[in-house]
This record gives sequence, C-alpha cells and structure tokens, in this order.
Amino acid sequence: MKISFSCNGETRDIEAGAEIRALDILREDLGLTGTKEGCGKGECGACTILLDGKPVCSCLLPAPKLEGCEVVTVEGLKGPDGGLHPIQQAFLDTGAVQCGFCTPGMILSTKALLDTNPAPTVKEIETGLSGNICRCTGYGKIIEAVQLSAQRMRNE
Amino acid sequence: MDYCKPRTVDEALSSFGDDSVYIAGGTDLGVLLAEMLISPVGMIDLCAIDDMKGISRSDEGLTIGACTLISDIAAADDIPDCLSLGAAAIGSPQIRNMATIGGNICNASPCGDTLTPLMVLDAEFELKGAGGRRALAAGDFFRGPKKTALEPGEILTAVRIPAASLEGSITGFRMTGKRNGQVISQVNMAVWAVIIDGKIENIRISAGSVAPVPLRLIRCEKMLQGKTAAEIMKDAFMKNLAAAAEVEITPISDVRAGEDYRRSVSGALLVDIVTDLVSEGVKDED
Amino acid sequence: MSEKEFAIIGKPQQKVDGIELVTGKARFSGDLRFTGMLHGYAVRAGVPAGKLKSVDTTEALKVEGVLDVITASGLMGPNLMGILPPFDQQILAVDQIRYAGESVAFVVAETNAAAKRASRLVVADIERWEPILTTDAALADDARKIHENGNITFTKKLIKGDVESGFADADLIIENDYETSFQEHAYIEPEAVCAVPSGDNRITIYASCQSPYHLRGHIAANLGLPHSKVKVVQAYTGGSFGGKDDVAAEIGILAATAAVKLERPVMVAHDRDESIIGSNLRHAMKMHYKTGLKKDGTIVARKAELLLDGGAYASESPFVVMKALIHAAGPYCIPNVMIESTAVYTNKTYSGAFRGFGVPQVTFASESQLQEAADSLGISALDIRMKNALKPGDANATNQVFNESVGIRQTIEAVAERTAGFDTSASEDADYLYGTGYASLIQGISNGAEGIDVVGASVQMSQDGSVVVGAGLTELGQGARTVFAQIAAEVLGVPLNTVTARLVDTDSVHDSGATVASRATTTGGMAVMKAAEEVKDSLLSMAALMFKTEAENIVLKEGFAVLVFDDSARIPIPDVATAAYWTGFPLMNLAFSRAPDADYDHDTHQGTIYNAYNYGTHAMRIKIEKSTGRVEVLNHIASHDVGKVLNPLGLTGQVEGGSLIGFGLAHMEKVEYRDGFIQNANLADYAVPTVMDRIPTEVISVEEANPNGPYGAKGIGEPPVAGAAAAFANAVAAATGIRFRKIPVTREDILTAIRGK
Ligand SMILES: Cc1cc2nc3c(=O)[nH]c(=O)nc-3n(C[C@H](O)[C@H](O)[C@H](O)COP(=O)(O)OP(=O)(O)OC[C@H]3O[C@@H](n4cnc5c(N)ncnc54)[C@H](O)[C@@H]3O)c2cc1C
Ligand code: FES
Ligand code: FES
Repeated sequence: MKISFSCNGETRDIEAGAEIRALDILREDLGLTGTKEGCGKGECGACTILLDGKPVCSCLLPAPKLEGCEVVTVEGLKGPDGGLHPIQQAFLDTGAVQCGFCTPGMILSTKALLDTNPAPTVKEIETGLSGNICRCTGYGKIIEAVQLSAQRMRNE
Repeated sequence: MDYCKPRTVDEALSSFGDDSVYIAGGTDLGVLLAEMLISPVGMIDLCAIDDMKGISRSDEGLTIGACTLISDIAAADDIPDCLSLGAAAIGSPQIRNMATIGGNICNASPCGDTLTPLMVLDAEFELKGAGGRRALAAGDFFRGPKKTALEPGEILTAVRIPAASLEGSITGFRMTGKRNGQVISQVNMAVWAVIIDGKIENIRISAGSVAPVPLRLIRCEKMLQGKTAAEIMKDAFMKNLAAAAEVEITPISDVRAGEDYRRSVSGALLVDIVTDLVSEGVKDED
Repeated sequence: MSEKEFAIIGKPQQKVDGIELVTGKARFSGDLRFTGMLHGYAVRAGVPAGKLKSVDTTEALKVEGVLDVITASGLMGPNLMGILPPFDQQILAVDQIRYAGESVAFVVAETNAAAKRASRLVVADIERWEPILTTDAALADDARKIHENGNITFTKKLIKGDVESGFADADLIIENDYETSFQEHAYIEPEAVCAVPSGDNRITIYASCQSPYHLRGHIAANLGLPHSKVKVVQAYTGGSFGGKDDVAAEIGILAATAAVKLERPVMVAHDRDESIIGSNLRHAMKMHYKTGLKKDGTIVARKAELLLDGGAYASESPFVVMKALIHAAGPYCIPNVMIESTAVYTNKTYSGAFRGFGVPQVTFASESQLQEAADSLGISALDIRMKNALKPGDANATNQVFNESVGIRQTIEAVAERTAGFDTSASEDADYLYGTGYASLIQGISNGAEGIDVVGASVQMSQDGSVVVGAGLTELGQGARTVFAQIAAEVLGVPLNTVTARLVDTDSVHDSGATVASRATTTGGMAVMKAAEEVKDSLLSMAALMFKTEAENIVLKEGFAVLVFDDSARIPIPDVATAAYWTGFPLMNLAFSRAPDADYDHDTHQGTIYNAYNYGTHAMRIKIEKSTGRVEVLNHIASHDVGKVLNPLGLTGQVEGGSLIGFGLAHMEKVEYRDGFIQNANLADYAVPTVMDRIPTEVISVEEANPNGPYGAKGIGEPPVAGAAAAFANAVAAATGIRFRKIPVTREDILTAIRGK
C-alpha cells in the first residue's frame, strides 16, 4: 500500500505492507541509517524516532502506521546555525558518546524530553531516557549532556 | 500483509477475517511478528477509531477508550492513582507512547501492569463482536496467561470504572522487577480502599505475576476489612497480613523470579501499600 | 617527562570520531549497502548436544528469494577456527552438536526476511545426547568427551614459595568456595559483517569486530585463499568488550564463503538473540580459595583452585585460564602462592574474552575472602589492604619485581581520603540496611603470557600539514582513535583537528593482533608515537634547512616550526611539509612497537609476564530496601593507577562504563540456563543496567608513570569491572551481615537471605 508521511520535514511516499517496519522504511527505503536496530523488540531504544514529536520504537511500528505522521530521525536534527543541534554538541562536549550506537536514540529521547520539559530534574532525565540502553558509558556523562543541553537551549 | 485502518468499531468488525489480527499500539504484537510466532495476512489497526480513545467522566463513572495510550493514562491526574501508577510502570517512554490500555488487557499477560489496578477498581470491559455488545467484569475476563474471554474477532472497546470505585476511596500500586528502568514486574500489587474515621470500610487487593491471571486476595481483604488504623499499624498484624498474602498467591518460578521471592515480595508490597494508604487515609481526615 | 607541559596530552579532548556518531552519519557494518547485496542467516542446532545425522535443505531452497543454503560440505576450507591452535571450533556443524546455538546451515537470500523464513524450513536430523551442563559433569570419570582430547580445555599452575609451610605459619586460615555466573557483553550493536567480492580476485570484509587480523586469517584459511587475497576493514563498531572476535570470524567466514560462491555481496547481521546465544560469554567460574594470615593481617599464604566453565569451544579459555591464574592473588605481596586454573568444556555457549578477562571473577573471590579475614581479625578494610599491598621493589605473585609504577598504595590512600568524609559504618533504619564495601585489584596490561605483543602504526603528513594515523588496533568506542590522534598531534605539534585517525584496514598496517588486554593505549600508542617521531624528524630536518640552523634548535608546536630561542620565528607546518615533500624527505612512516617480551617458567608462572599493571581500589556504599532487596548505590569511588591520564574525558568514561558492567556482573546480570538452553536471550529478561540503575561513580586517577607506555600511560579499559564487582559484594556483606559467595547477588538473593536470617 502507499504510505505518505513527512520525514525530517520532507514529504515521502513509499510503498509497503504491514509486515514492513517503520525502521526498515527509514533504513532501507530512505537510507537513513542513523536509526539503529539493537534488538528489534522494543527493549534497547536504538531505533528511537520521534513520531509527531513523541519518542517511539520504530522496530515495533508497522510501516502503515506512519501514514500522515511527522517523523524526525537523528538526521533531521540541526542547530540554529545549521550545524550541530545543541543536544548533539553537548553529547560531544561531555564525552557522552563512546561507541555511539545508542547515541542517535539517546539524542532523540533527550530532544523529546527537553521539548516538553526544558529544565528536567535528574530523576526526570532518568525516566525520560529509561528506554535507551547504553552499554558503554555507565550513563553519568549522558545525564551531564542532557543537563548541559537543557541549559544551553534555555539560554538560547 | 494487508492493512486497514477502520474509523468505526463496526467497520473494524466487518473487516475481520480468519487470518487477521487487530493491532492497537503494536508493542506486544510487534514482538510476536519479530519472533515470527504469528504470520497474519491482514492487520486491522484500531487506533483510528475515535470512539475508542480518550478518558471521559460521567455520573456513572469513568470510561477509558481501549485505544487510549498508556502514556496518557500515566499522565492523567484525575484517575485513581493505582491506574496511573500501573501505567507509568509499563516499559519505557517509547513503549508507553505506543502501547494502549486495551492492548495491555487483551494481551492478558500475568504481569500486565494495568491489570491489577483494573481488578481492584472493579472495572468492567465493554466488548463488541459479530454477536453484539456485552460487558464483562475484569475478574471474568482473564482466563489464563495470554488467554481471555474474547471471542474471535471480538473487540474490547472501552473500560468502565464505576462511580462507586471512585468516590471517597484511595488507591495504591507497587511493583518490583529485576532492575529499576524498563522493567517487567516480578510481582505487582494494587489496593483500593475506603477509609472512614481511621477504619477500613472497604478494601480490594489484587496481585499480578503471581498466578496465571491477576488475583484478588480475598483473604487479605477480609483481614483488613473493618480494621482501624491502630489495629493495622502493628508489627504483628502486618506480619500476619504478609503471611496471608504469601499463601494466597500461587506463583511459579520462571526466568524473571523464583516462586519464593514472589511470595516474600508480595507480602512486603502489600504491607508497604497498606501502610501508605492507612497513613494517608488518616492524614486526609485530619 | 612529568615536568613537561603538553599541548594535547592530558587535556580533555572530544572524541575525534564524535561528530559522525552524534549525527548518525557513521556507518556501522549493518548500515553498509552494496548493489546486489544478499542477506545470510544461520540455522541453529536448537539442541545442546547430539549427533548431526543430516541436514535437509530442500524446502528452504524453494522459498522465494533464496539463492543458496550452505552446509558444512559446502565450505571451502577446513571448517575450523579458534584463538589458539589447534583450533577446535567448527563454523558449520559436521558431526557433533556441542551447544544449542551451533550453526548447522547458512541460508542466503535476497532479503533478510526470506532468509529467516527459509531457515525455519531447514531440517536438521539430530540424535539427541544427554548434554553435559556443569563443570562437575564434564570432569566426571565416565563423562562423554565433548572434544576428542577430553573435557579439559586447558590447565595451568602458578607456584610461588611453599604454600603449605606458609599455612603452617598462619594464625588464621580461611577457606571458602566462590562462584560467578556467565555474563553477556550486550553491546548495543549486535555483530554484523558484510563480505564484498572486489572484482580483483580479492574479497573485502567490512566488519564490526575487535581483531581484523584474526578475521583475515580465519576467512582466508576457510576459503582456501592466501591472506593477501582477503582484506578486512573495520567498520564503526558498536561496542565489543571482548565479544566481537570469534563470532565476527564465524559470520565473516560464512558471509565470505557465500559472497565468493554467489559472486555478490553478502551481509550477515545478527539478531539480539543470536548475539546472546551464538557468541561468547564471560566464563562462569567456581573458585576454591584458602588464605592464611598473621594476626596483624599479613597474608602469608594463598591457595586457590579455579574452575572455568568454557562452554562448547576453547575460544580464549586458555588465555583466560592464565590471566585468572596470574591475578588470583590480587595486588598483594604474598610470599607463598599456589594457584591451579582449569577450563573445561560443557554443552553451553562458549566462553571467551570479556572486559576483565578472568580478573573480575578472581578479584571477587580474593577480595571477599580478604574482607572475611579482616572482619574476623578486627582490622579495617583499608588497613588490611594497605598492609599487604605491593610496593615498588616487591615480588608479585609471578615473582616479577617492578621498581616503579606500582600505585596500589596510592589508590588505597586516595580512597581513604575520599571516604573519610562520609559515614561508612554498617547501619540500619526502619526500611533500609546500609553498608560500605572495599576492593583492591590488579590488572595486567598488554598481552603478557598470551604471547608476543606487537602493534604496527602508520603516520602520514600531507603537504597541507594534515595527518592520517592508522594503527593496527581497533576503535570499539573506548576512544582508541582519539588517543592515537592525540599522540600524533602532540609529537608533531599540530592541532588535534588536523589529525585523522582511521579505522583499521588489514592492507595498510602490520598484523597487530587483537585489541584486548587494555593494550590499545600502551602498545598501540607507542607504535603511533614511534611512527610520528620519524615524520617529526623529517619536518625538523626540513625546518632546519629553512631556518639555516640545526634541528635541535627547532620545536614543533601550535602548528608551527619554531626556533627555540626566538618564539616569534615561526614557519607554518604546512609550509615545512610542502618543502619537505619537494625536497624529498619522507612524510609517511610505518612503525612497529613491541612490548617487552614475557619470560617465565610455564609450569610455575614465575618470571616476567606483564610489562605493566594497572592497580585500583574501589569503595561502594549501598542502601538495601529491606522489604524487597532493592539496592541503591549511594557512593562509588574508583581510584586507579593509570600511569598517566592522556585524555581525562575518555578515561572517566572508561571507568564509569566499566564500573557499571562490574556492577551488572555482581548484582543484576545472569544468563539463565535450563537444560542447556538460554532462557533470557533478550534485553528485557537479561537485565542490563538502564539509566535508572546507574551508579554514581567518582573517578580518582593516580599517575605512577609506566616506562613502557606512551607518556607513562597504562591501559584503563578493563580494570574497573573487577573493582566495582568486588566492592559491591563486600558492600552487601557489610550491609546485611551475610556473606554471599556467589554473584550476581540479586535483589531476590538478598531478600531471600535477609528473610532467612
Ligand atoms: C520492551 C517492552 C516492555 C514492556 N514492558 C511492559 C511492562 O512493564 N508492563 C506491561 O504490562 N507490559 C509491558 N509490555 C507489553 C505491552 O507494551 C503492553 O502489554 C501494552 O499495553 C500492549 O498494548 P498495545 O496497544 O501495544 O497492544 P498490541 O500489541 O497492539 O496488542 C496486543 C494484543 O491485544 C490485541 N488487542 C489490542 N487491542 C485490542 C482491542 N481493543 N480489542 C481486542 N483485541 C485487542 C491485539 O490483537 C494483540 O493480540 C512491554 C512490551 C515491550 C515491547
Ligand atoms: S531496536 Fe527497537 S528498541 Fe531495540
Ligand atoms: S555509547 Fe556504546 S552503547 Fe552507548
């Protein structure tokens, strides 16, 4: 069936059945491989995308459910000057990236959190990121990154 | 695989065929598909049926559409605490943004985190099928792990919580798991109570993940019924209460927890919630 | 050297490969796409032990999109791989099934979905045997032999002094059994490789892997090709921790075989369950420990028997046996030591390398027992550790004497100082139990007993002054590329952002072995330093001609060649490089670094083994909820002697990440087996810590310069795992008054024990 949705601000029309996952559409059809697959079952958060602004697991989302929605992937993030988004910059500055495989999902969960809660507490950050597993960093620097980006985004 | 997105319940019912599945949020279904445990030919998406979404109030009580998102239930502040806490205990933000309460109910996993709250709230499930409408009490709906009273093709359209469960009552929910984040319940426990003048006038308790279906702990309820805060808040009483909970449940050992742990924790969770509720109930009246 | 001011070394540096990672542009293996690319999926035995009688692929071949189903007979080489010859691991099962995750056939199809669907139609006729599931069963006299040579994979001894006379001298003897469970790496990127026929009679394999050279060797051998026809390129690798070696070779061989046969690129990307069931785990270990002490806490003798469950294949077991053996005595000066370490085969997923490599297990046992001794002698945790800690000039367990870079005592002091401020007594209130645990550790850096330790590296400067560094060790997220770039930039006096450190490609540098044993920074860093020094020489010679002076009067800094006695006399390095190019000075160099060789007695493990050790001391204060057993870590101090901090940002990240893996090992993570099948091959029931389970690690670095490391550095990748795990076990004992001798100690274990008390 034909599916029409917006991805990172561009309208996309694709052809797919319900056995195809949104994750496959992004990675295979649109070549947006920044969205990762770590488990395929909703358990790791590597495949996180923003669907109408909310983080969801694209690995559990049948492609037809994209119809009419607005999708943001890591490739769609940009800073005010067209460079890195403040969240991306903060992840670099704080050393919150090691292997980087969890990073796109982590950054999108952070964005969703900060969009609704510009000054989250540590507890709120933890809840907001609890669907994204990182095996490398031990999370301390990721929390710092979220705090730093929140601060910078508030000051913008 | 075919896919359709009906706008009404009737349209959905008429789309249903032998090899079709209903999908709501897809968080349970997606896992089955990924594991190739099912291979339906048609998928009927219930999420565009406006009648099945949202929380509404009337004199009769609360109606929650089956396709209401778990994240919306977790965030709702005018529904009983046990239900919003149960919803908040499900998975992760990503999962809660996709999952629906109807899916949690129809999936009927013994560890489903909204099931015990719905049990203690005396929830009623509205079902619609080819044969028409019917309503079933939560306690009659769950038939075993992943087994429900749904007839093939039947749809859960809404959950009703009667007014009697809302007024003058307080509720609590607690769960434990292997870890703190994104965790599946080893045991979850919900309590609903009416406390007047420091006395428990009415109470309902339900434990999950301790039997094939969410259980009402009738014996524990009887122990608490009519008791005053002073009688309850005694070590000896609490010990007996915990012990009663431990024998009333019928847990198994599996990859998530051992039987003994499930028993110990059930008692402990019950004591914790009762302590909180009784203190809160007494405080509220001050 | 410590007096010298560095421009780049020792300062917090962002990851040089960070931008592509935060933007999602970095291409991991599974992100690669080639025209005509096929997908491969393995059919697993699904039986832990048995005789494979036949494999019927007829129905699978009929599935639309399926091009081939390869079985053992379709492989082109010996169908063998492993870490240490003689190799014992089959790529596709031939005759015997040794674990449930063993591959019996490999389906190749146009799509991943078709390959998976077809895999379910492959019928393997297996005569089931009673699986051997415990080390005891494997060692029983009448046990079936899992491999021809029996069920003992490898066994070694360490003998120092006379342990029995040591015990005779002791005032207190403590003897106990300890046990650890299997641990899964759970890197978030499951293994993936893509094999691409390159049209020049060669094949290129892009891999998420830890040791491209291992892959090249195994793939070439199993394809019947010379190594020179195989090129392995490391793709961005989403974590490894020891886990992407054997399995990467296995799927590399399968993908390459199919790619050669079908003359099309073939991708194999594991699902999460395959990544757990079909690739190595951390060894589960049973350890019998006996320690003799004087009343004042001096350890006079230690004896230990270590039994490692190696699962179906040898993999790294021999090396883990040795590493556990060498570290079993801990960071202490003990005159009499006798350790026996043995790995056995069982019908389970094979065990192999995992960050720490046997050291976390023995550290848990050793530090638990030392704490038990301290408690019964009434000596404080830090005092007993300080009393026995190695000093420069002491002989360690292998009788090796280090006269410098032995910082264990400083780490104990650092922890003492840091914990002085907070309440560390064991205590209790209505809802919680509180306790603090301590642990010290030692972790050998470099290959040591595992063999020769060499790394190749190249440094190349272009006329514009930009630099490309290529070392033979891999970036796995630990920051190797950043450290390599830092070293090259420091030596060449150029800004870090003009240096590119590339991923490994087997064509371009010398076989450097595996990126293991925390050796990337040390041996790898030394190779980069040497390579850069040569390029620096060219630049200095050129600049000398330009300044009409001697080379020693010039320094390279801030992107310029500068006269030592006149800081304003500067020539931009690009100008020097351009001139050097046109004058004919070499601007590329390939260097080779070789760590000092091990030299020891193989029967007693006495002699020179590692060329440096990282030492550490951890303290962890926890709070346990009495009703549920839930634990919260209130403080965690991790102090390590790292020689020299090259990049503070990278270093703290390594300590924090490693510590959480140690915490997982000690508290949460357990591979659950039933009848030889893993029950929790997913990330929901295998409980990897989430952000809500993190621990508040505070990092303290001690810098006792290592003469064998670049700028004095030692590695830091592995050591924190052992420290956090052992400190946690001691914290639980302190809080509950109950000694758990088996990890993980889960909420469930804690609650069960405190209720039983
Ligand atoms: C990583 C992960 C973590 C999770 N953690 C938890 C947890 O902690 N606690 C918990 O309780 N659950 C958990 N779940 C399970 C799941 O998210 C919940 O059960 C969720 O509420 C299911 O809702 P859904 O809308 O996604 O259901 P779906 O997957 O869409 O449907 C589930 C089943 O119900 C049927 N169905 C759905 N709606 C209806 C309807 N209205 N009428 C008739 N049939 C219907 C479907 O056909 C399907 O068989 C987790 C799942 C994942 C993947
Ligand atoms: S890949 Fe979707 S949550 Fe892991
Ligand atoms: S950085 Fe590797 S998983 Fe998070």
